Amino acid sequence: MDWDVLIRYAPSLGRGFLVTIACWASGCALGLALGFAVALAAGARSLALRAVLRVYVEILRGTPFLMQLFILYAGGPAVGLRLSATEAGILGLGLYSSAYFSEIFRAGFAAVPRGQVEAAMSVGMAPWDILARVRLPNALVAATPPIVNTLIVMSKETVVLSIITVPELMYQMQTMAAETFTAFDAIFAMAVFYWCLVEVVSRLGRRVEQRATAFLASRA
Amino acid sequence: MRFSVFSHSFGYLAHAAGVTLALSLAGIALGFVIGMAVCVARLSGKPWPERLGAAYVSVFRGVPLLVLLLFIYYFLATVGLDVPALVAAIGGLSLSSGAYQAEILRGALNAVPRGQGEAAVALGYGAVDRWRRILLPQAVRISVPPLINEFILLIKASSLVSVVGIAELTRVSMNIASMTYRPLEAYLAGGFFYLVINLTLAGLGSLAERRLARGA
Amino acid sequence: MQDIEGFRVSRRTALKWSLAGLAATGLAGGLRSAAADTLADIKKRGELVVATEMQFPPFDISDNGVYKGVDRELIDAVAKELGVKVSYLDLPWTSVLPGLEAKKFDLVIAPVTITKERMKRYAFSVPIADATASLMKRADDKTITKPEDLAGKTVGGQKGTAQVAQFKEFAAKLPKPVEVKEYVDNNQSYADLAAGRIDAAINSLPNLAYAASQRPEAFALVLPPFGQPTYFSWVARPDDQSLIEAVNAAIVKLDGDGTMAKIQTTWFGQPTALPTTVPEPKI
Repeated sequence: MDWDVLIRYAPSLGRGFLVTIACWASGCALGLALGFAVALAAGARSLALRAVLRVYVEILRGTPFLMQLFILYAGGPAVGLRLSATEAGILGLGLYSSAYFSEIFRAGFAAVPRGQVEAAMSVGMAPWDILARVRLPNALVAATPPIVNTLIVMSKETVVLSIITVPELMYQMQTMAAETFTAFDAIFAMAVFYWCLVEVVSRLGRRVEQRATAFLASRA
Repeated sequence: MRFSVFSHSFGYLAHAAGVTLALSLAGIALGFVIGMAVCVARLSGKPWPERLGAAYVSVFRGVPLLVLLLFIYYFLATVGLDVPALVAAIGGLSLSSGAYQAEILRGALNAVPRGQGEAAVALGYGAVDRWRRILLPQAVRISVPPLINEFILLIKASSLVSVVGIAELTRVSMNIASMTYRPLEAYLAGGFFYLVINLTLAGLGSLAERRLARGA
Repeated sequence: MQDIEGFRVSRRTALKWSLAGLAATGLAGGLRSAAADTLADIKKRGELVVATEMQFPPFDISDNGVYKGVDRELIDAVAKELGVKVSYLDLPWTSVLPGLEAKKFDLVIAPVTITKERMKRYAFSVPIADATASLMKRADDKTITKPEDLAGKTVGGQKGTAQVAQFKEFAAKLPKPVEVKEYVDNNQSYADLAAGRIDAAINSLPNLAYAASQRPEAFALVLPPFGQPTYFSWVARPDDQSLIEAVNAAIVKLDGDGTMAKIQTTWFGQPTALPTTVPEPKI
């Protein structure tokens, strides 16, 4: 290990880590919102709408993020969509993760016991109330572990943003490696940064899971 | 848009797609075995297996696959353990996927109604039979959709094995992009192959899901 | 409850592992000096193993899996001089230096420019090609006819390269500031040039001349090249003096007997004279 180099580059690596977190958090927030909307719309009656959403999910889930991001960023201007690198990175991550999140929410809704929804309907609850107070809490409990898993997967996908010049952690690592020709240092630094991030996310995820379970139990 | 890029490189891409598929299949299969073992350890109720299982998930889910592959193939060689490229690639994929699959199976086992395990105990099933006949079959059924998701993610994550010198689908797409100076065409072509593989997987997954649902 | 308990232990355990890993790297670095003679090994094996990133035309190209380019032809000729066969590895840059450290191969034949910082860690060959910085624009861009026309515009190139450093020096003297976008890989700067995000791409003259010749409808060179003469070299482990000396001797010989000029004519259209000693890095 070349500690001198790591210390010299610590500020830029730290900045990169913050950019990684910012892009990851905003991309995933966008993805969660989009994915939730897609999952709700997938329950619609219109066959055409359901087919369109299926294609949306399958294409975004079935192709690598690297290729999607590149096509969005480099191909976008040809159809009048001119985004900055960071905008494209966040939008790309949002679209990509929305496909995964929508599938998770869909499975979550499917796991809500039918009897509960029927009971809510029979006592005359409005559809919005049923969604907010019966379907959603139940679905969230089922969806929390896979959401945490997906958040972790997405945190690692952010390294792809480096190819379109978003100054995130991988970009700063590669700069360090290119300028100093150090071989293993960047790799170890990366392992430490990502492991910390993943631990924090898993820990928060477990808290949310416990809260949600406790919330349901308290109402049972 | 230049379609000659597709026709000139079709065979090259198809071969690379085969490599991607084969490595991912090996990774998912070994990963399933690891995931099952880790999951059983985590839910065993004994402190040491539980801790080891939790540590496994923490490390192999927390460390990026890229780093894991570089570690196995290059770093181990600097301390005298020379792992062949193919072993490093499949090893890295299955170690990493094992952590995710363990979590998926754990989630599924938690979703098996508690009464069933208790009923099995009451009926005099031994621990092995309880797991093999009651808990695991149900957990596997519940976990089919997330396992297919994980499989598709692994197909895409397997692009990282290019760091040990294996020419898989993403690497080949990039090689074509660089040679032709037409990256958009190259990535569309590569993306098409990924889509074909993953749609097939998703299709097989829903087939399996329906079959298992009928068996229930 | 048990979950939380398990979590705390797992974190501590994993931290211990990471620290052990870090310590082991330091150890490996210290032990490296006791290496055997790589050149003797290569001769005994009868095979020279080299690695490069096959995404750097016209030096390194993977044409449907067949390795082509300047580096390929030159290393074949060098290996012939050494009396051994060659095998080639295509690796992403992230793994090239770790692979050299781990002795997965003997030599890096990706063309790199020598800098003071890089020289601290690796041994470099005599120049294998000219790497003088140059610029490329979109073919239909009439506003740029010479490098000075880039004043007030946006230019992109690969991070950490000598060409980008030279351009920054050049741009500092222009009347209007130039925005320099830095990429992890040249191929992305070409894509951004085509997409109109930047007005010119910086790289070495041979790379850009080849790119412009492959896609004349999209790209055009901006001549003349600028900055000081710069060269590409190959990279070896710092303690492999005998190997790098043998490679250097072979390159100098190929320079003298016309082989180098022939390769240059194939890929660059014309021969260029190269220094026969390792140049002193300027940056």
